[in-house]
Amino acid sequence: MTRRLKLTAQLLALGLVAGLLALLVWQLGHQQHAPSVGSTAPGFTLSRLDGPGTVSLASFRGKPVVLNFWASWCDPCKSEARVLERDWASYRHRGVVFIGVDYHDLGSDARKFVKAHALTFTMLKDGSGKVTGSYGISQVPETYVLDRQGRVVAHLAGPITDPGFSGQFRSAIAKAVA
Amino acid sequence: MILRFLAVVAAALALAGPAAACAHPRTSLAYLQGQVMCPTCHTTLDMSDSPAAQDIDRFISQKIAACWTAERIKSALVANYGQQILAAPSHTGFDLLAWWLPIAGLLGGALVLALGVWRWTRRREPDEEPAEPAGSGLDEETERRLDDLLARFD
Repeated sequence: MTRRLKLTAQLLALGLVAGLLALLVWQLGHQQHAPSVGSTAPGFTLSRLDGPGTVSLASFRGKPVVLNFWASWCDPCKSEARVLERDWASYRHRGVVFIGVDYHDLGSDARKFVKAHALTFTMLKDGSGKVTGSYGISQVPETYVLDRQGRVVAHLAGPITDPGFSGQFRSAIAKAVA
Repeated sequence: MILRFLAVVAAALALAGPAAACAHPRTSLAYLQGQVMCPTCHTTLDMSDSPAAQDIDRFISQKIAACWTAERIKSALVANYGQQILAAPSHTGFDLLAWWLPIAGLLGGALVLALGVWRWTRRREPDEEPAEPAGSGLDEETERRLDDLLARFD
């Protein structure tokens, strides 16, 4: 009887260790990384920030996309917003789509931000940060430029107003449009 | 003089009005700061001074001033950020596991401990009170050979 009890306890302990190991392996396998240049950008469907309805990234297939992750509490996003709006105005006639993804933010604050900076491009809301996580975003602002096939042309981990990024941003759009 | 008195009364009423308007005790920012997570730094709000946490602090303060209950404020935050904005998991569905697993672990541990103590005491009992041997403690064959040996010395 005691031998059987001992065996059961040992099997249970072994099962527990195996379960914890499996969890560790699963966690390592599901860690989210930023999609690399040349890979297909993760698809998503997000709610609109300024009204009802959802928007899916797949619906823009065939068009170059500028995907900008921002938040109203982010200071560099303020100076970047003006530049993004200006660039959107100059690139939209070439079929480039600009999408803003508001990240870990209060909806009311984000809407105030959009209004204050008179932003007119598509604005989506990722309150839970799930989509942002799939893009490996660790800070805001960050911007991805996608080509017509939805592949990553550039990933700029910082404001596009940074001297190092502004040239890179424009050349990435030119590449995505071509 | 009368005008000044009326102005003071009006100001007092204006200030007391919102406080008196609450039909329930007001919750506090400090209470909710311990229950709500900062979405960017993954600590509770009271442990963070990041811009995102400060925004949520401000939101909570505004809602407390508007007489919202703690539950209503938390629901609004969950609607905006998702369930992970709360420090504690909910009491429904899969989240229940987070509440019951530690209890099950404690009970299991206590059971294993009790079983171990019970077995240990059972093993120790014969040593503490050794039973008196019924006879000489030798088997029949040895006893017979010993008797034969001793008989030689008689």
